[in-house]
Amino acid sequence: MSLTDLMSMAKPNLESREKIFARLCGRNFLNCYLCIKCTSGCTALKLLELKPHEIEKLVNLGFVDELASSDIIWTCATCLKCFQRCPQKASPYHVIIALRNLAVEREAKVPEAYMKAVSQILEGGLAEQPQKVANKKMETCDREGLKLPKIRPPKESFQTVFLKALEEKPS
Amino acid sequence: MTKVGVYVCHCGLNIAGVVDVEDIANYALTLPSVAVARHYTYMCSEPGQRMIQNDIRAHKLDRIVIATCSPRMHEETFRKAVSEVGLNPYLVEIVNLREQVSWPHNEEPQRATEKAKALVRMGVARVKLLEPLERQSVSVEKNVLVIGGGIAGIQASLDLANAGLKVYLVEKAPSIGGRMAQLDKTFPTLDCSACILTPKMVDVAKHPNITLLTNSEVTKVKGFVGNYEVTILRNPRFVDEAKCVGCELCTQACPVKIPDRFNENLSQTCAISIYSPHAVPKIATINPAYCLKLKTKNKTVCGKCVQACEAKAINFDQEPEAIQLKVGGVILAVGSEVFDASRVLEFGYGRFPNVISNIEFERISDASGPTGGKILNPKSRKPPRSIAFVQCVGSRDKRFHEYCCRVGCMVSLKQTILAREKLGKKVDIYVCYNDLRAFGKGYEEFYRRARDMDINFVAGIPSDIRSTADGSLYFDVFESGTNKLLELHADLVVLANGLVPSDGISKMKELFHVLRSRDGFLLEAHPKLRPLECSTAGIFLAGACQSPKDIPDTVAQASGAAAKVIDLLSSGEIELEPLKAVVDKDLCSGCRICESLCPFVAVEMKKEEKDGKEELKAEVIEVVCQGCGLCSAACPTGAIKIEQYSNKQVLAQVAEAFPAAAHKGGSHR
Repeated sequence: MSLTDLMSMAKPNLESREKIFARLCGRNFLNCYLCIKCTSGCTALKLLELKPHEIEKLVNLGFVDELASSDIIWTCATCLKCFQRCPQKASPYHVIIALRNLAVEREAKVPEAYMKAVSQILEGGLAEQPQKVANKKMETCDREGLKLPKIRPPKESFQTVFLKALEEKPS
Repeated sequence: MTKVGVYVCHCGLNIAGVVDVEDIANYALTLPSVAVARHYTYMCSEPGQRMIQNDIRAHKLDRIVIATCSPRMHEETFRKAVSEVGLNPYLVEIVNLREQVSWPHNEEPQRATEKAKALVRMGVARVKLLEPLERQSVSVEKNVLVIGGGIAGIQASLDLANAGLKVYLVEKAPSIGGRMAQLDKTFPTLDCSACILTPKMVDVAKHPNITLLTNSEVTKVKGFVGNYEVTILRNPRFVDEAKCVGCELCTQACPVKIPDRFNENLSQTCAISIYSPHAVPKIATINPAYCLKLKTKNKTVCGKCVQACEAKAINFDQEPEAIQLKVGGVILAVGSEVFDASRVLEFGYGRFPNVISNIEFERISDASGPTGGKILNPKSRKPPRSIAFVQCVGSRDKRFHEYCCRVGCMVSLKQTILAREKLGKKVDIYVCYNDLRAFGKGYEEFYRRARDMDINFVAGIPSDIRSTADGSLYFDVFESGTNKLLELHADLVVLANGLVPSDGISKMKELFHVLRSRDGFLLEAHPKLRPLECSTAGIFLAGACQSPKDIPDTVAQASGAAAKVIDLLSSGEIELEPLKAVVDKDLCSGCRICESLCPFVAVEMKKEEKDGKEELKAEVIEVVCQGCGLCSAACPTGAIKIEQYSNKQVLAQVAEAFPAAAHKGGSHR
């Protein structure tokens, strides 16, 4: 591709673009015609400046490297609005997840919170530890107080399977 | 001894740019029975056709193979060319080297050439087995059935009637006028829709050559091109058409209020009503689903309209009436529906009363509409301070309809202009779009006009629309020109709903065995060269039932379809294609599979005496058969076959396709 990003002098990386393409399960970023409906509704736009349509377009043009090493792809809250509402079934969400996979593959820096979530799943089977909540009367209660059943730790076999899945690199 | 001529067309560089045409011609000469083989730049051109004709005379050729584009393109051209020099036109075989070879295989020229040679070899094997066929003529009825009384049906009926043909115009609603009658103004000239449509509606009612059948529907169709037998069901109005004067005294007396369909349910009408202010015919109709007397089937109930009617026109004893017609041609003009925006959940149509569709906006803006032409909020009945239009609702959206609705952009532009003119400078108007398409004559200028009227064009589509407690609306939209997330507040949101195939279209498919394209609309015989007709002979298309259309295109297509019908019926007789199914009675077992499969109802089962026993045999009604071949493929005994596509003729081709297999002892019937 005879294309250069004059801001960073970056060149498109077509090999990585192909890799992302293969992970989209038939959802095609080429179909995006920039109606920008995804960014209009993006949960992560206001605080974290995530613009799904820009990511969609950048990947389309092959500027993958900058994205794969950026922090922005980790800001997506995976609310799936863009996936459900996209008129072209192009789904920026799938592109972002593919970029995250690429980043892990390249051993790029993954935000602390994600690593924490992984170790929590490994230990307790949950991405988040149960937290105390406040009710209308401003009393804090835990699961026991709300008479919810205790959460059992995962079976031992779960850890083996989970670790194995982590080690396996996607083809 | 059969002498075959093979002609390879270059089609400019379309074919010659990929396959080696000279090599193919040389190869053809080595095939048995081939006397002449040539290649030429444009075989369909006058010198190309003359080359074939000269060879037929000079070499006494009796079979011709032409390796060129699709037979849908020029088969008829070449048939005509050979018949001019005395050869039977059905002794020509077309080999498709363009759509089936050079276009799909343009990256592999060598293997493409090999495939082309194989196809030519197969064509030569087949052409030797072809038999001369004669075309049959049948006389035609000089009457035309037009289905659908919208602007397409009206225009086609008037053109046909003026040309002297007898027209039956069938409309399922109680009045003609269709969608156009619901519109306020029309783009790009801002003509008042009623002003230009109503005179035409009146012309239809008055024309001596047009029989207007409103409140009616087609229920049964039999026959074939030139000789269709059609049954039309006239649903009862429960009002005597000859007596009713359209005074509306009955409507004032009727106690039952029902949603007004003509006003998109934005206002109410009565169980007895006149369809619209400009209705033609202006006759009251009782809706039997709501009328107290008809609903309860109790003769003592209500009857207020009977008391009010001075003309004594009301007749509760009317029955549905079936009418039989014989017509030569049919024009389908059943139109389209407006997309139901409640399917797009994120826009809240149906949940929020201030989110309306573009057709509802038309009724609100129309002087004869529910608000008397004042643009008001449906809920608060106050003029809106800001209006937002959202484009491409249900169209260009793979979740609903992939196609462009072709009218949404222009409709919204028109409505912004109407809103600006009616509400003045103080109202804020926004259009959220992703591509604004203003493609027709005078359309771009119309877009300019809207831009000059201080309309805000926002390049971006909102993700969802939200409502505040007081019913006003707001949404976020990322504007791509400024790269900013904007929040927009609007009292009224108008969704630019697209046009979608109507129920009428699926009914037409069943009745006339016409085809639908992938988008659900009726399929034309050829998108470029035969856009006004169906592939079923004698059935023509007009208006939005073929694809979404605006008024100029609809009227143009309607006049075009009318001209095609006049062309078909003017001479009083037509020639039929002889490629029909024929039955070998000795082989037919009377299993009726062909009868059940035939989409054109062209197979009849006849009882026959044989050796003192009665046997059931299939018989093909030649004029009805379209030669589709379904029966032939399904026949378990091989008794029914299509002329020119017998097993012998087809299997000779198959054997040539796999010469190696044939040598290994593969035999064919």
